[in-house]
Amino acid sequence: MSDNDKNKHEPGMAYDTKFLNKLFAVLGVLFLFTTLWMVLDDYIRPWKAVQLKGFEVKDQVLKEKIIAEEKSIDQEKLNEINQEIEVAKKEVEAKSGELEKLKEELSKVQKDIYVQNMTNGTHGALAGEYQFKYEHYLMEGKEKKAAPYKKKMEKEKELFAQGQDDLKTFQQKESEINDKIKAIRNEVAELKKAESKIIGTKDRLVTAKKLNKRDPIFFLRNSPFIDYLDPTVKIHQVVLDNLTDDRYFVQTKKVDRCTTCHMFIDQPGYEDKPQPYRTHPKVNTLAVGTNSAHPIKKFGCTTCHGGEGHRVNDFNAPAHMPSSEEQQAEWEEKYHWHEPHKVPITMLPSKYSYASCTKCHNAETRVVMGDKLNRGKELVQSYGCYGCHKIEGWEHLKKPGPSLLKINAKVSKEFIKNWIWSPHTFNPKSRMPAFFGQSNNSKPEFMKKNIVEVNAMTEYIVSKAKDYQPFKKYSKGNAEKGKELIQTIGCVACHGVEGIDEPYSNVNAKRGPYLTGTGSKVDPDWLVSWLIKPSHYQADTVMPSFRLSDQEANDIATYLLNSKSKKFADLKFQEMDKKIRDELLVADYSAFIPIATAQAKVEELSDEERTIELGRISIGKYGCYSCHDIEGFKSDRPPIGPDLTKVGSKPIHQFGYGQQHQVGHTRHDWFTAHLKNPRMWDIGVPKPFKDLNRMPNFYLNDTEIEEMTTFLLGQVSEYVPMAGKKNYNERELIAEQGRKVANKYNCQGCHTIDGQGGWLSKTVYGDDLNAGPPWLVKEGHRVHADWLHTFLKEVKTIRPYMNVRMPSFNFSEGELNKLVDYFVKDADQRVFYEKPDKVTWEAGEREAAVKMWNELACVTCHTGGFNNEEAQGPNLHFAHERLRPSWVKKWLANPVGIQSYTPMPQFWGENGDESAVEGVLGDDPQKQIEAMKKYIIELGQKKGSYQYK
Amino acid sequence: MKELINIIADPIYSFSIVIALFLLSIKYIKFVGSKKFFWIALGGSAIFTVWAAQDKNFWAIITWPDNIPISILLISMGWLTWYAIYKGVNNDARTEKGEPPLEGTPENREKVWAWPNLVYTEMFTIIIGTAFLVVWSILFKAPLEEPANPTWAPNPAKAPWYFLGLQEMLVYFDPWMAGVLLPGLIIVGLIAIPYIDMNPKGNGYYTFSERKFAISSFMFGWLVLWIFLIIIGTFLRGPNWSYYGPFEYWDAHKVVAANNINLSEILWIKWLGMPLPKNILLREFLGLALTLIYFAVAPYYLTKKVFNFKGKLGKWINGGQLGGYLKSMGYIRYSIMVMLMLTMMTMPIKMYLRWFINLKYLVFMPEFEFNI
Repeated sequence: MSDNDKNKHEPGMAYDTKFLNKLFAVLGVLFLFTTLWMVLDDYIRPWKAVQLKGFEVKDQVLKEKIIAEEKSIDQEKLNEINQEIEVAKKEVEAKSGELEKLKEELSKVQKDIYVQNMTNGTHGALAGEYQFKYEHYLMEGKEKKAAPYKKKMEKEKELFAQGQDDLKTFQQKESEINDKIKAIRNEVAELKKAESKIIGTKDRLVTAKKLNKRDPIFFLRNSPFIDYLDPTVKIHQVVLDNLTDDRYFVQTKKVDRCTTCHMFIDQPGYEDKPQPYRTHPKVNTLAVGTNSAHPIKKFGCTTCHGGEGHRVNDFNAPAHMPSSEEQQAEWEEKYHWHEPHKVPITMLPSKYSYASCTKCHNAETRVVMGDKLNRGKELVQSYGCYGCHKIEGWEHLKKPGPSLLKINAKVSKEFIKNWIWSPHTFNPKSRMPAFFGQSNNSKPEFMKKNIVEVNAMTEYIVSKAKDYQPFKKYSKGNAEKGKELIQTIGCVACHGVEGIDEPYSNVNAKRGPYLTGTGSKVDPDWLVSWLIKPSHYQADTVMPSFRLSDQEANDIATYLLNSKSKKFADLKFQEMDKKIRDELLVADYSAFIPIATAQAKVEELSDEERTIELGRISIGKYGCYSCHDIEGFKSDRPPIGPDLTKVGSKPIHQFGYGQQHQVGHTRHDWFTAHLKNPRMWDIGVPKPFKDLNRMPNFYLNDTEIEEMTTFLLGQVSEYVPMAGKKNYNERELIAEQGRKVANKYNCQGCHTIDGQGGWLSKTVYGDDLNAGPPWLVKEGHRVHADWLHTFLKEVKTIRPYMNVRMPSFNFSEGELNKLVDYFVKDADQRVFYEKPDKVTWEAGEREAAVKMWNELACVTCHTGGFNNEEAQGPNLHFAHERLRPSWVKKWLANPVGIQSYTPMPQFWGENGDESAVEGVLGDDPQKQIEAMKKYIIELGQKKGSYQYK
Repeated sequence: MKELINIIADPIYSFSIVIALFLLSIKYIKFVGSKKFFWIALGGSAIFTVWAAQDKNFWAIITWPDNIPISILLISMGWLTWYAIYKGVNNDARTEKGEPPLEGTPENREKVWAWPNLVYTEMFTIIIGTAFLVVWSILFKAPLEEPANPTWAPNPAKAPWYFLGLQEMLVYFDPWMAGVLLPGLIIVGLIAIPYIDMNPKGNGYYTFSERKFAISSFMFGWLVLWIFLIIIGTFLRGPNWSYYGPFEYWDAHKVVAANNINLSEILWIKWLGMPLPKNILLREFLGLALTLIYFAVAPYYLTKKVFNFKGKLGKWINGGQLGGYLKSMGYIRYSIMVMLMLTMMTMPIKMYLRWFINLKYLVFMPEFEFNI
């Protein structure tokens, strides 16, 4: 407003009213538009578009299903039924007069019931009221006032009781009439049921398709403002009572809204649809499905997948994480994906989903259906990560490397040096990781120092080792025979062996070292002694004895010693530079004292003492003692690596990246990079020698890294309420203890135990399973606990026709008990199972048993103790000692049901319900089996009749 | 160019630059109050903003939803300040010519109806304001973050924008001073202004020349010590409260070497080469003495040379009153005014001491939680 304009206005006015009105109109329209914009902005949500497209996908799937269903319909039968229905309907029509009458009666009775209900209600209510008043006056001590109410109350109660009885009469009448009506209509109803069996599924699909229609009503229901009533496009959610989200100061019920977009996650039939419409993998076994182990209603989504399940703002809100760089690029283009900000628990990329099993199943050695995680655990165990890194629950395991307490008898000093320097030069499959020649210590200056350290460590180990004399002398044997033995008796269940490792390269075969170049490594006498009795050299070794004869041991040793590593054997390790040694010692001492004092301290030591001292310091520095028993290092010395128990929850900003900016800012990216090259974080970072990263390089391949990353990601600190966790009962707890022992000794390397493992059985003996290690199916039910205990302690031959040998393990008493307990509890059995002292026979039963024994010709295979033919089955004279009678019955009835591969015939038919020998015991299969069982048990009861070999 | 701006935006330099600009604009207030200046300033800042916004670090920091209200504040504050000066300078020119101020002309003294002149315009403002807020909230979603996680605090952890000036003071002062005493004095001082200011001029109209001292000293506190520190706190303080230039990436690992030492350590260890005395008062006597001198000698100088309108500066601030402030205000008002002035000036003094001699505290008495 300029000064001149002002004069034009009316008196008392600063502005022109017309102008103001116009302005108001403009502003009003502007405001209207902003309001509409606001409503639209609120209404249009990304997930609504997803759902609209989902309806189309559903249409398509339903259409396909309907077509498929139509094809399966038996049209002829349907027509037939339809005709029958017509006929039946006519019959009903003929009786229509009767029907009408009944219906009339029914409505009358129903009226009576209604009236009676009302009357009873009144009496009941009055009785209640009078009772209250009566009791109330009594309480106040006004007995006079109370008395009339008592009378009233009693009267009402009486009326009520009478009314209830009348009601029952009416109800009885009603059901009688209903029955009559039903009887008339019965045939039609039955026929309709039959019809529905044929076309019911299709009808349901058609109805579902109809409900899925996007008609005007659909749009009305989902339009702005009206959509608060009953929308079909809406947020879907599960709210969990037993699991929580951590909101730092409070645990709130977990709310997962993932199904808002992942609409068909729980419905089979969408497996080939693009995300987010795909069905969950293993929907009916593993998760999501109602009958699966983890139904969505009980476990939600983010419990396993991580992320912010309650957020549906847009694709980024729930913290989706891509599985690969390609997927990331795709998401960036499609959804403007970016790294989640400040989300403590981002979603696990789908390839790591199994990590979450650990959250609840951490006490289990092997998680059912969690194969990837199990392989990760297996790797962590065989590479011995738990040696240097504390992982809660892994403390009980023995050190991953062999003991060095008597090392001098096994290998030479020169070998130790070269081996420490570069284990993979000698054995490319070595599980001993490489500490030297890595990306952060390959500078000549560092190499020189490392050479000194390796020399010093070797001197320390060698000088501290105790004497050991092998108890057998090696003499050259037959290498071919040795090779065959290695293949057949079971060595390859734990060891990969050069020359015979294919096709046995498997995770389990890494339990023991890969055997290559043995001829350039060990002392022959030591090898033979070790093969015959491993515990003689190292008491706590898991390597069992195969009860080898001297000849067998020498044959195997000959084969192994023939394998030489020429290149490695010729290596001469560089001599120690004593000046550098002294410098290193001074540098170490001067961490806490002045350099001059440190120098003086070093000078006090003799030349040899200095080397030993540096060796001791270096072993501590590199953590050799974490994996190997070394004299002078106590077993309770803490591990040198960081604790990994909760590493899956470690905030990402606490991971050191150094100059490696190309590595993604997620835990899994860091783990992957770290496992690939643990020393990479030092690259480009100026660090003095003593501060260099010491995590060694295991030269893992990508699959191994992915599996180990899965394990690491599962080590989280999230709180899981008791109600949401897997809670073990007593039986499971005991079984789990034993499973740990079984895992330590790699029982499943040979045996399939209740369907798990059995690697040797499946590969080497894959063509003839019966010749391989037996599958253990509810082993605790099969054998007596005391027999199992004795057997594991002192192995005896059961199946003499086998080449593979059950080894003799050096179990401790505790381990033995745990193992036996494990099998017994896992089979849901009691430990003590009474062995009958003497079999008691029914009249004529024994004769029948003998007849069957002969007819079925049991001794054809079970020759042991009957003739000198080669046995095809276990010696039945041991059955009494070994087998539980109830199991014998089960076995006889259906052996194939227990061991699918067994050559034992199904004498009593496929289900154990046919007669095996006609005319015996009235052809009653149960009686026959019972008699046979008694006979077999009796065989072993003739004391002293037969001894184990 | 960006490098240069990154360097000079550091408060070590920019603070002095801002003070210099402030003094210049006081000196050339007539130019500042001209329309020409307005257009130059508007054009200049528009060009700068457009140019600077090309930089992704600059863009990221000004479009961070938290910072948008501060940008709005800066724009409106610039406009309002200039508009007041423009009006004041205009009136001053009229006064010089012997005319009454614009607000005092007969036609401007005429009265108008509250309806529709006031109520209608108020409603317009309400509509515009609401529409603006709606559009703003649609375009820039509320910067809501994760539920507070005590183990993962944001870095930098910033106060609400209106307190960022105070938070900036924490860099230079003990929390007790910067967090309690000085803010308290600011509030008390602001409340006290109407009781201290005895100058009847400028009532109902804009003017600068009749209220030079009041306007300049207030504007120094407001623009330099408050608004400018908010700008620093908002735009130039990144992770770990380190300084980041407007075009610099906020790298949380930035390391700034800053070893600050106390005056007592400078005196005893550095100059006298002896250990700190055990006696606290002896140890801190220099700092205590300097503080006392500041609050005792400075008022004497101000009274003798400035506020009696005798020195050069004194003559300039004389808004037409006779005698001196001491005479016109009375002893109590005068001493309160001087104390507040001096306390306000401790802020820039302490800042310069930090930058020039790495001074941590003038007086360091952790025994009594007394650090200044």
